[in-house]
Amino acid sequence: MLEARGLTKYYGSVLAVQSIDFSLEPGQVLGYLGPNGSGKSTTVKMLIGLLEPSSGQVLFHGKNIQSDLVAYRKHLGYVPEEANLYPYLTGYEYLELVGTLRGMPQQRMKAKIDSFLELFSLFPHRHVALSSYSKGMRQRILLISALMDNPDVLILDEPLSGLDVTSALIFKNLIQSLSAKGKTIFYCSHVLEVVEKVCSRLLILRKGQVIASGTTEEVRQRIGQTSLENIFLYLVEDRDVAQIANDIVDVVVSP
Amino acid sequence: MIARVRQSFLAGWEPYSRRPFPTLLRVFIGRVFHGGGDSGASEMDVALGVVLILLAMPGVLVSLLLFEKYGSLIRWMRGDGVFDPFTAAIPDEYFFIVLSMVVTGAAAVWRWDALFLDRRDYSNIVPLPISLRRIFLGNLCAILFLAGALTLDVNAASLVLFPVVVVGSQDSLSLLIRFGVGHAATVILASVFSFFAVFGVIGLLMAILPYSLFRRISLYVRFLIALFFLALLATNFAVTSFLAQLTRISKPAVTMLPPVWFLGIGQTLWGNGHNPFFAAMTRSALLALGISLAVAVLSYALSFRRSFIRLPETAEVGPLPRSQFHLLPSNLFDRIILRDAPQRACFHFITRTLLRSEAHLQIASAFVAMGLVVSAQSVASAFHANAADMLRSPSEDILAIPFILSFCIVVGIRLAFEVPSDLRANWVFALWIDPNTLQTRPIARKVLLTFSLAPLVPICFVLSAIFWGFGVAFLHTAIFAACTFAFVELLLLRFRKIPFTCSYPPFQSHSALLFVAYLFGFMIFTVYLPEFELWALADPWRVSLFVPLVAVILLSVQQYRKQMLDMDKHLIFEEISASGF
Repeated sequence: MLEARGLTKYYGSVLAVQSIDFSLEPGQVLGYLGPNGSGKSTTVKMLIGLLEPSSGQVLFHGKNIQSDLVAYRKHLGYVPEEANLYPYLTGYEYLELVGTLRGMPQQRMKAKIDSFLELFSLFPHRHVALSSYSKGMRQRILLISALMDNPDVLILDEPLSGLDVTSALIFKNLIQSLSAKGKTIFYCSHVLEVVEKVCSRLLILRKGQVIASGTTEEVRQRIGQTSLENIFLYLVEDRDVAQIANDIVDVVVSP
Repeated sequence: MIARVRQSFLAGWEPYSRRPFPTLLRVFIGRVFHGGGDSGASEMDVALGVVLILLAMPGVLVSLLLFEKYGSLIRWMRGDGVFDPFTAAIPDEYFFIVLSMVVTGAAAVWRWDALFLDRRDYSNIVPLPISLRRIFLGNLCAILFLAGALTLDVNAASLVLFPVVVVGSQDSLSLLIRFGVGHAATVILASVFSFFAVFGVIGLLMAILPYSLFRRISLYVRFLIALFFLALLATNFAVTSFLAQLTRISKPAVTMLPPVWFLGIGQTLWGNGHNPFFAAMTRSALLALGISLAVAVLSYALSFRRSFIRLPETAEVGPLPRSQFHLLPSNLFDRIILRDAPQRACFHFITRTLLRSEAHLQIASAFVAMGLVVSAQSVASAFHANAADMLRSPSEDILAIPFILSFCIVVGIRLAFEVPSDLRANWVFALWIDPNTLQTRPIARKVLLTFSLAPLVPICFVLSAIFWGFGVAFLHTAIFAACTFAFVELLLLRFRKIPFTCSYPPFQSHSALLFVAYLFGFMIFTVYLPEFELWALADPWRVSLFVPLVAVILLSVQQYRKQMLDMDKHLIFEEISASGF
């Protein structure tokens, strides 16, 4: 079980997130939503142990992850928001690097890499440098690197970024299958339609604070809106989006 | 008056500078100094001012150093008779030509990728309503501007200082002007030739080769050009001694060297045009300049048409896959040399970065090239000393060669370790490496030894065995390997990061001291050690003296590491400045 208790982070005197609480059981998928700058990435970095909270803690099976980060990360798969990869490595070499760093046995690692590359349609490009991969291909490499060691916890930060329609569809089904297999999934995204489809629970963030949480149905009933898009707009957006769009058009057509 | 002219100029210029073409020109000039190229070498960006100062520095320093040489008091004390500045200045004029060619050419090699428009330019500029002809002309003008700016910057100091240094004490303004004009024309034309020669080579390769192949061989070609420039610098003093005998040599080999051609221009303008040698060299220089300009412009036009306009098509084709060839079975190497998984992962990451990341390969290649040139000088020196018996018995010059090469390789790679590669991608290490258990020194040591000893030991042993027999070969190779090992240990004394994954170390007050230490290290490693080895080889028992020498170094390193605080050995991903606290 992955648990956040009173997670708070200050950058100097600037508050990034405040008192984030949630617990995530195996098989659950938590959708983590919020506008830009709301503190999503900060939370993700604390959850994977790249950033230490100013106060509060992240617990995995009841134990503070900071007490043994290496052991915790053995159970962790992570897809970062941006596909920052070493461009001169080939796709295969990058996965080999990650697998070796994770301490996977060579034979198992190679078999897994080959299978994943085949399934993600990257096998023909496995010996091509990552610099010439498209954004979607790089994203698939990141997904493989997160999944290759059979992690118990998956932290996904905008995992669909750049994926084509087929890959995105496969991925949505993959999330559901992984959760059915008992994986704990923390899913951070802007794509509300996907979050609505794959997440069993929601947590909406605004200016570093949780403003709504619960199952999708609970949140829907509480806010009194039918779609997640409307819920999101109701909670986080002060401005009238239709009016903003009209104003933009006015500027576009103005002489 | 000046203010009014300036104001009217600015009033006319400002509206013009906001028009599309000058804007395009500014973008193209700016991209040369701030990245450019597909290699993603943005971490190597340097401020324009710093670049210009660095390029101008050699000219300033050399000019200032020459004040002493041409001082009238010094000449009087040396007992020099009648002073003919045009003859006396030949060696220094030659050096300035070499310097201007090398610095300008090296700058062109350094920004090689940024000279031609790339995919980023294509995606940003071509969709805008600007014709291809304008883009073509814009970049051509930017390149011409760059060539002019580089030429002026590199030679600015010598244009003013060198004539003053040489003929300033002659009390003749006409002499000063004649000397200055001759020198200016010579070094400026030499710089222009050098820039366009390099540019022409890039353009031709781009025009002839498929883009993916061009990218692959680009670095090797740059390495060869850098090697040529280094050779020009290194042979400067030898060539000037040949130049003193020019009139007596019918077909000197030095006429093959471009700087000698340009020396002819200077001599012709200084009134030595009647000399058939200098007249011939002037013709060669002008011809070479014309050819380089023509080839550069032609190849630019061709490559623009072939490479830039077809960029979207090359994206469809995709690059060539990486070669999967391994010299040694990688499993065997991993099992024997690399003991655990993090070591294996880091070792392969480091070697791949070194061999594929352009910035890192450039640094390492520059040092290898320097090593090759200094080694060549060492061979030449051995040849001059004793041409007949050069290889029959070991001499310190020949013994020094593996030491020179290993020093340059090790220092080059060690320096490259400090330059980060795609820092944002280092999260994989931060996430999955245990900083408490990973020892980065053994990994760095294995990389340094793999790149230095692995290729040099067999070559050194085989060549020594052929020329001096197995006994000497064994001793020489063992001494060289042991010294290299000890040197590597010294270089990694306080090492505690995974190469390429840590931010730049801040400039520290002891950086200058380190530079001096490296220079001393070079002297000890490549001069005194071979001398000591030569003395030791005369009696094999003396060779045993190397054992305590190396042992003392290794034990001292071990002792120093022992008394270091644990926090100073801890793996880091960010170099923290002491003053930044």
